[in-house]
Amino acid sequence: MAIIEIEGLAKSYRVYQKREGLAAAVAGLFHRQYRLVEAVRGIDLQVEQGEFVAFLGPNGAGKTTTLKLLSGVISPSGGTARVMGFAPWRRENAYRRRFALVMGQKNQLWWDLPAAESFRLHQQIYRIEPERFDRTRDELTQMLNVRDLLSQPVRELSLGERMKMELIAALLHSPDVLFLDEPTIGLDVIAQHNIQVFLKHYQQVRRVTILLTSHYMKDVVALCRRVVIIALGRIIYDGSLSGIIDRFGGHKIISLQILNGETPANLERYGEVLTAEPPRIKLRVGRAVVPEVLSSILANHAVVDVNVEDPPIEQVIAEMFTQTTC
Amino acid sequence: MSNYLRVFLTFARNSLVRDMTFRANFLIDMISSICWVFINLAFYTLIFTYTPAIGAHSGWEKYQFFLFLATSLLINSLVQALFMTNADELSELVRTGSLDFALLKPIDTQFLVSLTRIEWSSLGNFAVGIALMVYSMHELHYVPGPVQIVLYPTYILCGVAIYYSLMIAMAATSVWLGRNQSLFDFWFYITNFSRYPMEIYRGPWGTPLRGVFTFCVPVLVVVNVPARILVRPINPELPDDWFLLGFTLFATVASLAGSRWVFQRALWSYRSASS
Amino acid sequence: MLNAFSSIIPSIYARAATWWTVLRISLEERLVYRGDFALGTLMRFLPIVTQIFLWSAVFSAKEATGSGRQIVGYSYHDIIAYYLLTMISRAFSSMPGLAGGIARDIRDGTVKKYLIQPIDMLGFLLLYRVAHKVVYYAVAAAPFALVFYLCRGYFSGWPDAATLAACGASLVMSFLLGFYLEATLGMLGFWFLEVNSLLFVYMLLSFFFSGHMFPIDMLPGVWGTIVRQIPLQYLAYFPAAVFLGKITGPALWIGLGTQLAWVLFFMIASRVTFRLGTRHYSGYGG
Repeated sequence: MAIIEIEGLAKSYRVYQKREGLAAAVAGLFHRQYRLVEAVRGIDLQVEQGEFVAFLGPNGAGKTTTLKLLSGVISPSGGTARVMGFAPWRRENAYRRRFALVMGQKNQLWWDLPAAESFRLHQQIYRIEPERFDRTRDELTQMLNVRDLLSQPVRELSLGERMKMELIAALLHSPDVLFLDEPTIGLDVIAQHNIQVFLKHYQQVRRVTILLTSHYMKDVVALCRRVVIIALGRIIYDGSLSGIIDRFGGHKIISLQILNGETPANLERYGEVLTAEPPRIKLRVGRAVVPEVLSSILANHAVVDVNVEDPPIEQVIAEMFTQTTC
Repeated sequence: MSNYLRVFLTFARNSLVRDMTFRANFLIDMISSICWVFINLAFYTLIFTYTPAIGAHSGWEKYQFFLFLATSLLINSLVQALFMTNADELSELVRTGSLDFALLKPIDTQFLVSLTRIEWSSLGNFAVGIALMVYSMHELHYVPGPVQIVLYPTYILCGVAIYYSLMIAMAATSVWLGRNQSLFDFWFYITNFSRYPMEIYRGPWGTPLRGVFTFCVPVLVVVNVPARILVRPINPELPDDWFLLGFTLFATVASLAGSRWVFQRALWSYRSASS
Repeated sequence: MLNAFSSIIPSIYARAATWWTVLRISLEERLVYRGDFALGTLMRFLPIVTQIFLWSAVFSAKEATGSGRQIVGYSYHDIIAYYLLTMISRAFSSMPGLAGGIARDIRDGTVKKYLIQPIDMLGFLLLYRVAHKVVYYAVAAAPFALVFYLCRGYFSGWPDAATLAACGASLVMSFLLGFYLEATLGMLGFWFLEVNSLLFVYMLLSFFFSGHMFPIDMLPGVWGTIVRQIPLQYLAYFPAAVFLGKITGPALWIGLGTQLAWVLFFMIASRVTFRLGTRHYSGYGG
C-alpha cells in the first residue's frame, strides 16, 4: 500500500474583501463580498515508501497548499488523502509524531535562544528518549557541520546555518515522511549544495519518504527521480525528469560551427536564431523539422561541427508554465 | 500528564533565560508596573481620607478595600505573566501563517499557544499583591481560618481561568476578524469593570450592568469572589454567598469550555498564509 | 512623509500650504479608520462608567456617616462632570509620542535634517500637532458630543460667557503648554541617552498631579501646596475647574496669568535647549 494516497483532493478559498478597522470588520461579519479561489482542483497521487518526489509548478499552482493539506495545517474542500493511513487534517498526535514539514521561508526556532534550547523543547514535545535524542542530534549536527553553532542564539546565525538548524529540528524525531517546502530558497550556492548532499544521504540511509517543492532545478535534478508538475491546481505531469523533455520539449537546439567565419544569410527561415557570432551559431528549431533543417544547412554551408541537443530543462518547464497559465 | 508539565517547565525556563538576556528591559518593565500600582494605591489612600468606605454599608472600608486590590493584583499579575503575551502573539501567528508550526506539533495546540511565553516581570506585581495582603490583614488584626486558606487560592485560580478564557477566545477571533489593536483595548475596557467591588453597581443602570457582568460575561466574579472569601468570611446562613461560590465554579468550567470551543472552531477555519 | 515637507521656506504662503497638506493627509488617514476611530473614541469613555459608579459609592458612604455631600467643594455630580471635562482638557494637552519622537530622532541622527536644512524643528512639529488636533476634533466631535449629551444631568447648565472664554483660553494655553513642556523634555535627549526613563517618570507624575486622576483640590497639606506651584495642574485640572466655576474672580486671573507665564517659560526653554543641544550635538561630529 502506498504511504501517501491522494484522491481528488481539492481546496478552494473564499477570499473576502477585507476592510480596515474593527467596526468594518465586525460589519463584515454580516455582509461580505468574496471571490472563489480554487487553489487545488482535484489531485490524484500515490507515493510509495522511500520515494523522493519533487513538486514543480509556477507560483500559485497549489504546491504549497498541497503540502499544507498533507500536513494537516489546513483541511480540504473535497477529496481524500491518507498519509501512513492517517487523515492529516484530523491532526492526531500519533500522525504528527511521524512526519515533519520544513518551510524554507519560515522560522520556527526560538529567535533569541540557542538552537540547542529549541531542540530540547522538541525532545519534550515529541517525547524522544534522551539517549535516542542525543544520538540523533549528534548525528545530524555532524552531517550538517553545525556542531559549534548549537549554543549561539539563532538570530546570530546566517541564513544557511539557520536553515540547517530548521532541518535538524524537523528530523530530531526521525519522521517517516518529510515535506520540504522550498528548503533552499534564498541560500547561496554552497549552502544549497550542502543541503542537497545532506538530503540525498539522509534519504538513502533512512529510507524516508520525501516530498520536495523547489524553484531550483539543481535541487530537483540532484535529488529526485520522480517529478510531479502542478499547474493551476492540477497535476499535468507525473513521471521522470527526462520524460518531461520528451513530452513537453517542442524544440531542439542546433549548435553549428561554420567554416570561413561568415554569417550565413537568412538563418531565420530555419528557426529562431539564439546566437549568431561566427563561427558559432545557435538555432532553436522545432523538433519535427530538425532533419530537414539539418540537411538544408549541411547542404548549403560549410559546417565544421554540429550538435543537436535538448534545451535546458528549466526552459522547457518555464515554457510549459507560461502555456498553462495563459 | 507529566509530559505537559515538563513542556510547561521548559517554556518557563526558556522565557526566564530570554528575560535575563534582556535584563534591563526586564527590570524596567517590572519597576514601571510596580510604580503604577503605587500610584493607584496613593489615589485610593487619598479617597479614604474623605470617606470611610466605598459603598454605604458595603463593608468595603479602607483595609478591606486594600484586600480587594491585593486580590485584583494577584489575579491580574498571574494572567499577565502566563497568558497576555501569548494571546497577543496568537493574532500575529494567525496573520503571518506561523500558526502552522503549532499545528504540526503532537501536542494540544491551545496549550502550546497559550503558554509558550511567560512574562516573569509581571510577577513583581504579584509580590506587591502579597505584601499588600499581608499588610492589610495585619492592620485588620485578621487571621484567615482554614476555610479561607483553602478557598481563597482556589478561587484565585478560578478567576485566572475565567480571565484566560475570555482572553483566548478574543484572540482566537483574529482568525475571522484579522489583527486588531482595538480588540486588545477592548479587553482592557471590559476588565476595567471588575476592578471594583460589585456593590458599587446599583441603581437603574448599575443593577443590570452588574447582572450582565456576572452572568453573561462573568468578569465581576473574578476578583470579587475570592476577595469576599477573605473580607467577608463565608457565612453558611447567607444563601447568597453559597450561590455565588457555586456559580463561580460553574462559570469557570463554562468559560473554559466555551473558549475551547471557540478556539477549536478558529483552528478549523484557519487558512494559513501564503509564504 | 516628513521628507516631503523638509523644504519649508519660511514664508507665510509656504507655511500655509504645508499646513493645509498636513491637515489633509491627517484627515484622510483618520477617515480610513473612521469606523475604528469612532468606536475607539467611544470606548475611551468606558472607564468613565466605572468612575461614575465608584464615586457614587464613595459619596453614598460619606453621606451615610453624616459628613455631608461634598468633597473639597465638589458634589458627586461635580466630580463626574469634572472627569468628563478633563477628557477634553487632556485631548488638548496630551502630546503622544512628541517627547519620545524627538528623543528618538536625536538618537538615530534624523535630527540632523533640521540642522542642515532651513526648517524650524519646533515650528514644524507644532504645525503638525495643530493639524492633528484639528483633525482629531473634527472626527471625534460626534462621539464626544454624544457622551456629553447623555451625561448632561451631571452638569448644572452652561457657565456664563466670561467663564467660557476663560475656559477656552486656558484650553488653548494647555495645548501650548503641553507641547512646549514635552518638547523640552524631548530635547534633553541631546545630553542624556536614555530619556525614556525620565519620560516615564514624567508620565507617572503627570498622571497623578495634573488632575487626571482626581481634582487636585483633594491633595492635603504640603502636597496641595507643592502641586499648585508646578505647571502640571494646567494640563488637565485647571480648564475643568474653571468651567465648573471652582476658580473665580482674582484667583481666576492669577491662574490664567500663571498659566501664560508657564507657557512662555517653556516656549523659551525649548528654544534654548534646542540651541544648546544642537551645539553640544554637533560638537560630537554627529
